[in-house]
Amino acid sequence: MLICVEDLSFRYPKQTDPILAINHWAVQSGETVFLHGPSGSGKSTLLNLLAGILVANRAPNRGQIEILGQSLPALGPRQRDRWRARHIGMVFQQFNLIPYLNPIDNVLLAAHFAGTQHPRDQTRELLTALDLPESLHQRPAKQLSIGQQQRVAVARALINRPELLIVDEPTSALDTGNRDGFMSLLMDSVAKHNSGLVFVSHDLSLASQFNRVDALTELNQVGTTS
Amino acid sequence: MILIRLALASLISRKGSALLTLFAISVSIFVLLGVELVRQQAKDSFGRTVSGIDLIVGARTGDVNLLLQSVFRIGHTSHNVRWSSYQDIANLPQVAWTIPIMLGDSHKGFAVMGTNEAFFNHFQFGNQHPLTLSEGVPFRDTFDVVLGSEVARTLDYSLESSLVLAHGLASTSFSQHSDSPFRVVGILAPTGTPVDQALYVSLAAIEAIHSGWQGQPTNSPSQPMHQPKSITAFMVGLESKLATFGIQRKINNYTKEPLLAILPGVTLSQLWEMMTSMENTLRLISVLVLLAAELGLAAMLLASIRERRGEITVLRAIGAPAWLIIVLIEIEALLVTLAACVAALVALYVAVSWANAVLSDGFGLVLAPQLFTKSNLILLASILISVAAIALVPGVSAYRQKER
Repeated sequence: MLICVEDLSFRYPKQTDPILAINHWAVQSGETVFLHGPSGSGKSTLLNLLAGILVANRAPNRGQIEILGQSLPALGPRQRDRWRARHIGMVFQQFNLIPYLNPIDNVLLAAHFAGTQHPRDQTRELLTALDLPESLHQRPAKQLSIGQQQRVAVARALINRPELLIVDEPTSALDTGNRDGFMSLLMDSVAKHNSGLVFVSHDLSLASQFNRVDALTELNQVGTTS
Repeated sequence: MILIRLALASLISRKGSALLTLFAISVSIFVLLGVELVRQQAKDSFGRTVSGIDLIVGARTGDVNLLLQSVFRIGHTSHNVRWSSYQDIANLPQVAWTIPIMLGDSHKGFAVMGTNEAFFNHFQFGNQHPLTLSEGVPFRDTFDVVLGSEVARTLDYSLESSLVLAHGLASTSFSQHSDSPFRVVGILAPTGTPVDQALYVSLAAIEAIHSGWQGQPTNSPSQPMHQPKSITAFMVGLESKLATFGIQRKINNYTKEPLLAILPGVTLSQLWEMMTSMENTLRLISVLVLLAAELGLAAMLLASIRERRGEITVLRAIGAPAWLIIVLIEIEALLVTLAACVAALVALYVAVSWANAVLSDGFGLVLAPQLFTKSNLILLASILISVAAIALVPGVSAYRQKER
């Protein structure tokens, strides 16, 4: 079992109503899940909960979130951060990189927090495999195009060989050509590393590339039950 | 290590504002250390003005007044000490020697001091340095004059120059006697004290100027000295330091005329005490300047947080702990401050070396640039600590922003 969410209810501090309430949601290892929903439906909140950046362990929040059999709320903050570094890779819509570090250092920084050692040339190979020419390896990330930045972000997310890749609207800032290129790179990499994938987007035209499609509006019980 | 590299790269990516902040902080550290250095040196050289003199005696006035008149030649006496009183005290068995001081005349703005050879034999400054002549000999004749080093330098006099002494203190006195030329016979070595800024003649010379002497130079050594009726003050050296307070009391209770005896060391430190508020004000100002620079640093870091929001998200996503941003901002603040400390120390070192080159020529003064004194190191450490404390403001607010 890759992901198992049970009886989850989450609200932000100073809010009166929960933004998320999920009775049960599970993802098997190696599955690629396309999760869609309108903006404001709690997608980013769910992803942050899955990654352990947000935790639903204090009343009125509750629920069980297990990733690879590990309960995230049961870990201490420091352990949770380290666990995330080792087992989860994340790619966002934008601003994925430390803007003043070059691609290599961006990737190595992720390795640093996972406590793994990666030689520079291995990192370079990974970047090159993701279509980032060597000439760009030493440039500060902010000088790269958005498409290039997103590819570095994938390399960064994959460097620690995570079992789970969480990807949040990675293509919404890309044009169609770049989007298709990015998607095939991403799907290839996931297949190669045999990672599970949770992919959030409202671009339903991408859904056909996944072996499972879930609608967050159906999962999320907020507003339907008390 | 990777965190330091990260902080460094982050600073370099904002090098404009980072450099300006660094510059502001190093200027303020320079001011702070510079003020400390100058204060210390001023205090030292102030304490160096008189040495080896047990008592200074003058007509009754305030302690500080007498010191200012006799040593710094500031202010003017309304009363003098009668020659007979001076002789009485000078002949006490406990008194080893005396230096008479006769003031009131000037030459081109520099004081003229009438005294005798005891001045050259017994006056000391600094750490018991005796006076030395860089050229020539002490005065022997009525019309001989010995110059302080600063006088010789400023007025460009050398041995055998002749000059005119005027009655009164103004630089252009009405009663200048162009027909009473004095001859320079000696020039004192620089002392870095008020000694450098006066001309020294015999008591007879002062009498000669005052008695409305006209023409006919009588500069023969055999000429019997005019005895002055009174002198401004005199310095006393005792056979034994133990007698100091006894003699002081004796002089203060002298019945024939009201006299005052002071211990120069004690009165010097009283005088310095009067400047403490000045000293503290300077210190306060330099601390405030530093505080302003540190607040500037905090403002620079605070302003960067907004643009670093994405960065914080990324760091969290790759497994950095939430407090890492505080550490990063602290490292950045301390890196800037450390660089500023180094820059300030280098600048101060250069400034002191340059000042030494200038000062040692003219004043025989050498600043001892002790940059790594204990108090300086404590100062630098407390600067770093205060920066670390102030950087918590942007640090914690960046942390909070993410926790919201």
